Amino acid sequence: MKSNRLLTYLQVTPLFLVLLFFVIVPLALVLIVSFFRYQMLVGLVPDFTFKNYAELLSNPTTWKLYFSTIKFTVIVLAITFVLGFWVAYFLVFHVRNLLIAIGLFLVCTVPFWTSNIIRMISWRPVLGTEGLINTALLESGIVGEPISWLLFSDFAVIVAYVHLFTLFMIVPIFNAMARIDKALLEAAVDAGATRWGVVWNVVLPLSKTGIALGAVFVVTLVMGDFFVVAVMSGGLSGSATSGIFNDLQFLNYPRAAANAVVLLIIVLLIATAIFRLVDVRKELVR
Amino acid sequence: MDGQPSGSGEIRLVDVTKTFGDMDAVKSIDLVIPHGSYCCLVGPSGCGKTTILRMIAGHETPTSGEIHIGEQMVVGLKPVQRGTAMMFQSYALFPHLSVLDNVAFYLKMRDVAKDERRRRAREMLERVQLDHLALRMPAMLSGGQQQRVALARALITNPRVLLLDEPLSALDEFLRLRMRGELKSLQAELGITFVHVTHTQPEAIALADMVVVMDHGRIDQADTARHIFSRPATPYVARFMGGQNVLSGTVTDTSGGVLVITDASGPTYAASASGPMPGAGTAMSFVVRRDRIALTKGATAAPGERNAVNGRVIATEYQGTYVKVTLDVASREAFVANIADDIYFAEPLKVGDEVTARWATADVHILERADTGAAIDPYAEDAA
Amino acid sequence: MSLPSQGRRPWTFYVLSVMFTLFVLFLYGPMFIMFILSFQGPTGGLVFPMRGFSLTWFDALFGQARTGDVGGAFSRSLPLALMVMVLTVLISVTAGFAFRRRFVGSGFLFYTAVASLIVPGLVLSIGILVTARFLGIPARWWFTGLGAHLSWTLPFGLLIMFAILGRLSPSYEEAAYDMGATRWQTVRHVVIPIVFPGMIAVALFGFTLSYDEFPRSWLTVGSLNTLPIEIWTMTTNVTSPALYALGTVTSAISFVAIGLAIGSIAYIQHRRSKRT
Repeated sequence: MKSNRLLTYLQVTPLFLVLLFFVIVPLALVLIVSFFRYQMLVGLVPDFTFKNYAELLSNPTTWKLYFSTIKFTVIVLAITFVLGFWVAYFLVFHVRNLLIAIGLFLVCTVPFWTSNIIRMISWRPVLGTEGLINTALLESGIVGEPISWLLFSDFAVIVAYVHLFTLFMIVPIFNAMARIDKALLEAAVDAGATRWGVVWNVVLPLSKTGIALGAVFVVTLVMGDFFVVAVMSGGLSGSATSGIFNDLQFLNYPRAAANAVVLLIIVLLIATAIFRLVDVRKELVR
Repeated sequence: MDGQPSGSGEIRLVDVTKTFGDMDAVKSIDLVIPHGSYCCLVGPSGCGKTTILRMIAGHETPTSGEIHIGEQMVVGLKPVQRGTAMMFQSYALFPHLSVLDNVAFYLKMRDVAKDERRRRAREMLERVQLDHLALRMPAMLSGGQQQRVALARALITNPRVLLLDEPLSALDEFLRLRMRGELKSLQAELGITFVHVTHTQPEAIALADMVVVMDHGRIDQADTARHIFSRPATPYVARFMGGQNVLSGTVTDTSGGVLVITDASGPTYAASASGPMPGAGTAMSFVVRRDRIALTKGATAAPGERNAVNGRVIATEYQGTYVKVTLDVASREAFVANIADDIYFAEPLKVGDEVTARWATADVHILERADTGAAIDPYAEDAA
Repeated sequence: MSLPSQGRRPWTFYVLSVMFTLFVLFLYGPMFIMFILSFQGPTGGLVFPMRGFSLTWFDALFGQARTGDVGGAFSRSLPLALMVMVLTVLISVTAGFAFRRRFVGSGFLFYTAVASLIVPGLVLSIGILVTARFLGIPARWWFTGLGAHLSWTLPFGLLIMFAILGRLSPSYEEAAYDMGATRWQTVRHVVIPIVFPGMIAVALFGFTLSYDEFPRSWLTVGSLNTLPIEIWTMTTNVTSPALYALGTVTSAISFVAIGLAIGSIAYIQHRRSKRT
């Protein structure tokens, strides 16, 4: 069969155009704007200045916000990894009927296809001081008064993140585990490995690529988020992105852009570091 | 019938070469496959047989050379214009279409009306005895049934040449033998040319009127099955087809129509030959069929005795009607004798026994090409 | 010692099953609570107990006394999601075909698509807004908003098509070619039917990801809100179960979309494996 180069390029042009106008150019412009000046009442002034970066990096609030975000990221990463790994492990290795495994997997993914904001809001009547958990605890006499830190706190933020993003760990890990040849596990058992030994020595290393992919997803989602933190912490905590958000409210595009660039660099650094552990293209295209 | 070029299914390859990147898959091939014959291309993986098949089909284009089918030079023509049809190794039945629609696909591409094309597809399915499965989906068929559907799908195009890419490899042993017989009778019934690629020697000689043995992109020998087996042209063909022992030496005497070849390590061989004799000192190789060897206990070959070698048993393998006895005869290649079972079990041998192998001069067949000391194993990697 | 996949169930199976069940409860519980609370009686508040059972709050969304511009937001989110769905399928499928061969720039395009997934939505939102400003184009949900959504859905669609087309054996197309099908006939009668379930999955992602998309819509939709943005503003100023009612309605639409997609995929797979 003959290949048609022109056709190939035509086929890929729509994708290229969309990515060009809605990803490449915007990102380039963000970079450029980050060097502009912001003048009150005038707005953007084309210029080339590092002022925005200087202001940003010298402001202790910036560091506080980034620290807070990274703190959340690490905690959420740890929890989603443990949860995600064992859910995927259960589905792949403990559920024997393939159809049921796929069904249960779909059950886990369905919430992904509903609105994030709705899922977040739905925690309020559960975690609030008059919510389900507190009411149950009070009525059963376990506590004397409602626990206030369930909602509008770091705890609530983490619960929401785990609720929203564990799926991003489950899917790539599930994918990677499903590809493991069951014969390898049997060979390990033959060689005397305990069940835990099989997990540690066979399953975990072979799921590495899936774990890496999941980790990248979770990191970028948590670091890029501003609405979960805002709603679930009741405004008590900020995130790196909320700093950007604030600048946008005041129309200070240059400094918002500078902040965005810094955030982007950090996220890309982390992603590249994780990708170095795995050949992404090969994994995704297989 | 449908604008298909009818007529001769004779295939002629003229100086055909196919290069992939910097590798020659097929090098300057000349081949003539007669109309209506069953031709098997046989050789190990990578020898170029599938490439040749695909070039005849039109799925690959030769880098240089011509391919003629009947009166047409077909290079540059699409498969459907050549009067060829291909049966794929994996059968490639469309999973989303029923058996009937799979077979009718060719007719659908030619805009034949639905009722008409389904009727004709049913007729074709009847010919392969599968019309009761017409509405089933391919996923629910057994391997043998899938193959018959693939056949029906190919034959409905009314080809003059049917190309089969390792059609029996995916079947288990019993089914393979049965389908082999069916393919042979189908070809006889249709009278069209079949070109069948396989890596299994017994299959090739069972089916083919013409066997083409290939090695690293070249044809070593193209001949009838009997000649390929009993009178191989080269050491490679002899070793690949099996059933032969390859021996070598230099010519020491050519008088009286008898060619005497001596191996430096001792044994003397004799073969009858006619016509111009090679000069003394020429390196020569020959073969002796494994089932034409007689074994006697004890290392009794006298020095200078012709067509006798001493050896030591290193393995015996029971094969039902015969026992395969492998000997170490102090040369680089093992020597094998296939002894009929009643003869063997009259006086069985053990590993380590000293024996003498003898054979008749008439059973020695001289090869056209001497053994060069290249790899014995057809699957060995290229030295380069 | 037996592996989990053979013989008697090890004790870890029971532990993990419990864990899995708790996880599913964790995933669905809050939404379920919200569904119930959206039927709160007229005098009820945002939390339990339920004071009666009514549709008051649904009415508050769409009825006379409107809470927020829900109807308007719907009238934008739904068509937008449908447009994104159609475009995502068309663009991902054609690009997926292109990627079956190596071509100049394929690596660059691939990594750009992956980067689009990684970049925080807010950053991209800013970028697109600035781009629009520089080009003198106003931000509109059906243009800049559409593009912003596509930047999120296309990488997903592309990855799915890679997986599907990567598993597609080339022998099907060769067989079709062998039987005289033109390239277009092959695509239409062989390739697309075989990969159709994958295309449905791409459509599902396109629709739901757009319908629920928030960060990238933030600045790019212009002055008329999409539903997620409308919900966001309502979280701050609405203090009635109307918010829950909205959540129920919007989730219902998502479930319908999911059900249709998964149902059709299951139906197609079933038909291809049935006996007659």
